[in-house]
Amino acid sequence: MAEIIARLAYAAAIAGGGVLLYILLRSRVLAKARRNSRTLERFERGLPGIVYFTTPDCGACKTVQRPALSALRERLQSSLQIIEVDAAERPDLARAWSVLTVPTTFILDREGRPRHVNQGVASAEKLASQLQSVG
Amino acid sequence: MDRSLRTVDHSVLKVNQATIIVALVAGFVANLPWLVALVALIMLVGTAIGRPGFFFVYFGALRPLGLVKPDLLSDNPEPHRFAQGFGGVVAALSAIALFVGGEVTGWALTWLVVALAALNLFVGFCAGCAVYYWMNRLGVPGFSKNAPSGTLPGMRPRLG
Repeated sequence: MAEIIARLAYAAAIAGGGVLLYILLRSRVLAKARRNSRTLERFERGLPGIVYFTTPDCGACKTVQRPALSALRERLQSSLQIIEVDAAERPDLARAWSVLTVPTTFILDREGRPRHVNQGVASAEKLASQLQSVG
Repeated sequence: MDRSLRTVDHSVLKVNQATIIVALVAGFVANLPWLVALVALIMLVGTAIGRPGFFFVYFGALRPLGLVKPDLLSDNPEPHRFAQGFGGVVAALSAIALFVGGEVTGWALTWLVVALAALNLFVGFCAGCAVYYWMNRLGVPGFSKNAPSGTLPGMRPRLG
C-alpha cells in the first residue's frame, strides 16, 4: 500500500511537471513571437487575427485545421483576418515565431500582439473563444 | 475530393488516447509491467487492423450509454494509425525493458507514450505532422516537397 501511494505521488509529480513544462514552453513561444511579431508584413492593425503556420505535407492541416478556419471565417467574416504561412517556404518566419510543429495557430489582438498559441489542431470553437478574449 | 479522406469519428480516437493514458498510468502506479505489455499489444493490433486499439471501450460502453457523442470529421485515418503504431512500438519496448529489469528505462518509455497521447488528446498535437515538419526543416532527404532552386512555378526542373 505504501508503495502504491509513493508511486501515485510520483505519477502526480511527473504529470504536474509535464503540465508546467508545457505551460513554460508555450509562454516562451508566445514571448518570442511577440518580440518578432513585426516580421509579419501582411497583418493589418485594427482587426484581430489568426496566423496559421502549415506545410504542404501536413495532413491534419488540410483535413481538420483549414476547415475549422474556414468555418470561423464564414462566421466572423470581415471582423477577422487569417494569415496563412507555409512554414516550408518561409522557414525564417517559422524560426522567428518559434514554430515547433504544424499546424500552429497564433491569435493576435488588434495591435498585432500574439496573445494565444495552439501547437496542434485547434477547433473552431477554441479559436473563437480565444478571439473573444482578445476583443 | 482527396480520395484518402474518410469520415473519421474523432470521439473514438479521443477515447482511445484517454484509455491508453489511464491504463499506462495505472500500470505505473500499481507496478504492473504486464498491463504495459497488454496496452502495447492492443495498440499494435489496432494499428494492424486499422482501428483505434481501445475502440471497444467507445463502441461497447461509452457511446451506447450516451456518455460520449460521435464527432464525425472528414479526415485521413493514416496519421492517426501512424501515431498509434509509433506509440505501440514504444510501449512494447517499455514492456520489454521492464521485464528484463530495466525499471528506469521501462517506466521512462511508458511516460513518453503517456506524454504523446496526452499531447494528442488535450492539445491536438499531431505526431506525424511534427515528424515531417522537423525532417523538412532539418533538410533530411525525402521529406521536402519543395522544387529545386531556380525552378519557376509550374515548370519542370532543369536537367543538369
